[in-house]
Amino acid sequence: MYPRKRREPVAFAIRVVLYALYGVPLLWIVLTSLKSSRDIFTSQATVFFTPTLEAYSTALADPALASSMRQSAIIAVGTTSLVLFCAVPAAYALARAKTRLVVGGLAVLVLLQMIPQTASLIPLYWLLNSTRLLDTNVGLILADSTLFLPWAILLMRPFFARIPISIEEASLLDGARTLRAFFAVALPLARNGVLVVTSVILLVSWGEFLYGVTFMLSPRNYPMSALIAQQSGLYGINWPGMMAFGVIAVIPVFILYIASYRLLRNGLTLGAVK
Amino acid sequence: MSGPSREKHAPPSLGARGQAHPVGSPLTGESLLGASRPLRRRQPQYTYRGDRRLALVIPAAALILALSIFPIIQLANMSLHDVTLATLTHDWDFVGLRKYQELFAHPDFWKILGNTLAFVVVVTALGLVGGFAAAVAVSPQKRGASFLLGLMVFLWAMPPVVVASIWKFLLSGDGLVNTILLNIGFSERVGFLFDKDLALWSVALVNAWAVIPFNALIFRAAILGIDPNLIEAAEMDGAGAWQRIRYVFIASVRPSTMVLTVLTVVYAFRSFDYIYIMTAGGPGTASTTLPYFAYVEALVNRDIAGGAATAILALLIVVIFAYVYVRDLRRGEPED
Repeated sequence: MYPRKRREPVAFAIRVVLYALYGVPLLWIVLTSLKSSRDIFTSQATVFFTPTLEAYSTALADPALASSMRQSAIIAVGTTSLVLFCAVPAAYALARAKTRLVVGGLAVLVLLQMIPQTASLIPLYWLLNSTRLLDTNVGLILADSTLFLPWAILLMRPFFARIPISIEEASLLDGARTLRAFFAVALPLARNGVLVVTSVILLVSWGEFLYGVTFMLSPRNYPMSALIAQQSGLYGINWPGMMAFGVIAVIPVFILYIASYRLLRNGLTLGAVK
Repeated sequence: MSGPSREKHAPPSLGARGQAHPVGSPLTGESLLGASRPLRRRQPQYTYRGDRRLALVIPAAALILALSIFPIIQLANMSLHDVTLATLTHDWDFVGLRKYQELFAHPDFWKILGNTLAFVVVVTALGLVGGFAAAVAVSPQKRGASFLLGLMVFLWAMPPVVVASIWKFLLSGDGLVNTILLNIGFSERVGFLFDKDLALWSVALVNAWAVIPFNALIFRAAILGIDPNLIEAAEMDGAGAWQRIRYVFIASVRPSTMVLTVLTVVYAFRSFDYIYIMTAGGPGTASTTLPYFAYVEALVNRDIAGGAATAILALLIVVIFAYVYVRDLRRGEPED
């Protein structure tokens, strides 16, 4: 792409600034999590200190950690499954169907994707309350799925749209019905799209906290992110403990991210802007 | 599977796409397909096949109707009634537009609207300029550049609560930023998140920081699409670094910019996580934006109807953004 030899002082300078801006916060969470509360008390900004796993052992001994991690896992997997179940066929239909409804449908999805979460939060609270789904995993999974579904469909659609239509036409003429054309032909070809949507929805539903903290009434049902949100609002935060919590919450994100980085890098670009 | 019949049935648009016949493709040559049965039965259905595919939308449509569209209608309904958290399950008294009048008469209403505008402008401007600069910096095929992109996108993928907590810590009274400032000669600590004149800007800066990785990813795709010869030609014509950026890079990302601007505006407008964690909208309403205010009204002040009226106003603003975005997308998609 780029001629290799050229020196680029501007780009180099920007890179140095960006490394500081994005590297330091990440470094800081790890460093802080390795401090003892005494280190924090003297000065939060010391770089030289004796690392200790005190914060981690405290965090791991807290039963709330394990239960919130389990809640997060259940909610993320449940949300992702429901989103995939709805989004993948819908994206295929919206990529292929030739009716005016498609344009209208896409416009609705764009609008829904843009609605502030607080606007959906208020009536959903009422709806989940009247269906007795408040404080249940099912309720939260339904709410999270609805929140991410428009985005998932819009992200997924280009992967179907770029499959040459002739491939499907062939199978349709050979007798495959709509569903078979979808499962046997289009779906395998759009595999990368499914993987991108899977990892994106796993990531965002793992991180979602507003619905979590609002629709879960008892703190023992909180997912990880809601627990962190709640704790960070308290006075006199125990920073090393909080950061250790954060690091532990990010480990699954890190693993998933490493596994899907290349797909994400290319797939997010495809879905966001044509 | 027979070539000629396929061509006969192909719709006109298909020819224009100029796709080679996938003869012998393992994906199409299913052995389970009957040899004679299909052609006869398939033919009449062919013309409205598009409609049949729409059946695949049903699960998504059901979920969206039940848990997105219906709740929005209910939100509008709530904003016309007197509903509090306490009377949520009772019958609601119809009050007409009173909740909207109360909203507009709220002493902080215009301030909150101003906060929202300032917040959106700062996040969008920095998010776009920063995203573009970052894209230029991470596009070269160098290890340092690729790793930086990976690092930045990782921060985008991290739970916002965790990232916002880090920034709350860094910007706190005795946090890293203040320590650095004191060491370079500031006489007193800066209350980034506690000073009523600074809180909004601090959260906006962090939000811009948070959106830059995603924007860089989008701009980078446009930059990677530039023909290297174009860069070389510009260089041979004597264009300096800034001129190359101006006439080659900026020119080539322009098509993505419009859509990305709308996306960034909406991102900023919807922002909730960072405000909630870092300042909770305070001090007072110093860093409260309109969608955040809807939350405060409904669930902190327990005035569901007031929150609903605020949310409806926010929703109307979003409709304008969505209109611009859809219009722009359709312009870029001539085939539909």
